Amino acid sequence: MAILRANLALTFKRLLRQPGFWVPTILFPAMLYAFFGAQNAGGGIAAVYAAASFAVYAVLGVAFFQFGVSIAEDRQSAFAVWQRSLPARPFASWTARLCAALVFSIAAVALVLATARLVGDLHIDAATQARLLAVCLILAVPATFMGTALGYLASRHSVVAVANLIFLPMAYLGGLWVPPPALPPQIDAISRWTPTRHMGEAAWAAVDGRSIPHTSVAALLVFTLGFFALTWLAYSCDRHARFG
Amino acid sequence: MDAMTGRTATVPAISARGLGKRFGRIEALADLSLELRRGEALGLIGTNGAGKTTALTLLQGLRRADTGRAEIFGHPAGSVAARRHVGITPQNADFPEQMSARDVLAYAAAHFERPQPVGELVAAFGLERLVDRRMDGFSGGELRRVALALAFVGNPDLVFADEPTAGLDTGGQDMFKAYARAYVESGGSLLLTSHHWDEIEHICDRIVMIDRGRLLLEGTLDDIRRNAGRNRISFRIAESAPVPSWLDEHFQREGQRWSGVSADSDGLARRLIADLPALQDVHIEPLDLKETIAQMQMERTI
Repeated sequence: MAILRANLALTFKRLLRQPGFWVPTILFPAMLYAFFGAQNAGGGIAAVYAAASFAVYAVLGVAFFQFGVSIAEDRQSAFAVWQRSLPARPFASWTARLCAALVFSIAAVALVLATARLVGDLHIDAATQARLLAVCLILAVPATFMGTALGYLASRHSVVAVANLIFLPMAYLGGLWVPPPALPPQIDAISRWTPTRHMGEAAWAAVDGRSIPHTSVAALLVFTLGFFALTWLAYSCDRHARFG
Repeated sequence: MDAMTGRTATVPAISARGLGKRFGRIEALADLSLELRRGEALGLIGTNGAGKTTALTLLQGLRRADTGRAEIFGHPAGSVAARRHVGITPQNADFPEQMSARDVLAYAAAHFERPQPVGELVAAFGLERLVDRRMDGFSGGELRRVALALAFVGNPDLVFADEPTAGLDTGGQDMFKAYARAYVESGGSLLLTSHHWDEIEHICDRIVMIDRGRLLLEGTLDDIRRNAGRNRISFRIAESAPVPSWLDEHFQREGQRWSGVSADSDGLARRLIADLPALQDVHIEPLDLKETIAQMQMERTI
């Protein structure tokens, strides 16, 4: 437990003392919702959907920028190599990273919902909010694998650019900024093959009180397994290159 | 160290047999065997690219050897059981810049059963002024001091110090030499790589020299000097005294002072006394480690 506590303290202190991380990951989704999401949606159910979309966008942001960027930056540092000499298995540091991701995801989603209430004059009942939050935490799993795979594939110098190049188009293609019915037909056709679209479908179902469409459940399972396999492959290659 | 088990008290701190490692076509290390006993300091020396860092990473378990096997207190190198005994100075001290020295020391200490009090290490390594500041403003020397303290924070039985004083001022170097020697005398084991020969001489009991990944020389400092069998003789001759012609064969002259290295320093000294009534201020002293190795390399005895 002492080792886990030490890893939690290290992880949270590093992230909290780094505004470059928590400002974009926690504040930007709420800001973007306030500037664009709420206004474009107008009101009613469209505004609720928009809030759910930006909640998913927030989860993706944590995954890409906490896992993707921080893993790429850490894994090539001498400090990370030195950490491997400590008498602990990687479990503690992974658990700490995961806890931090969950806390930051919850904070980012909560801020989107609070902004929706404040700016969009949106009233979502507590049960719906809890359902959306629970779905977002589940969606954090495939998102985390996406971010982690990126962290092991990109170099520390390129990772921020690569993360943005994937994250922003994926958010657009998934219908998180512009609702799918408003997407051009060609984009909508592509959208159906993206993980972000199915994440969005899950979040929209949560605020609707519907069950998640089977196709989206299946797609999310496939994406989760696929990103897990990619993460494992990238991790193994990186480990072999640096420690083999 | 006091609470070491009977097992760790009797087995070597490091036991490595036939370690080899290739990186593509380059053979970084070949068939290296070495042993480090408890309470001993071993200097691993060699030129840049000799294979020192590769050897260290294999012994630390940070890389896998292609051939051979390394054990730390009887446990496979790199296993959690082995790592419980080990403290390491990171060669590049690039700590997370958002953290303070105290944060990082406390983080490392949490991994060990009987860590040293952080306050003691802070005092020992001159970090009092710095310990609660974020490390993004630290100089290279200040970061190096934190790296040194990190190696000892777990109260380890074995410390790997890879060029530990690179970038440190002379005060810091002296501080490390004193601390490391006291650590070894209290029963700790130390594997040190350094390009500071005086540091090796001050701290280490034995050295292992490698070149192009192969073992070149191994022994205690006294053995190496004795086997090299060379002493430096230096003396002065009164200004007006005649200088025998044979002196030039054995000595170089710098001003009034003559000096040279000889395997038969006693015989040469006797000859000097016999031939030079005006001989003054004669010194016969063993070569230091750097000179001994250089002499052996020049004479191709290693």
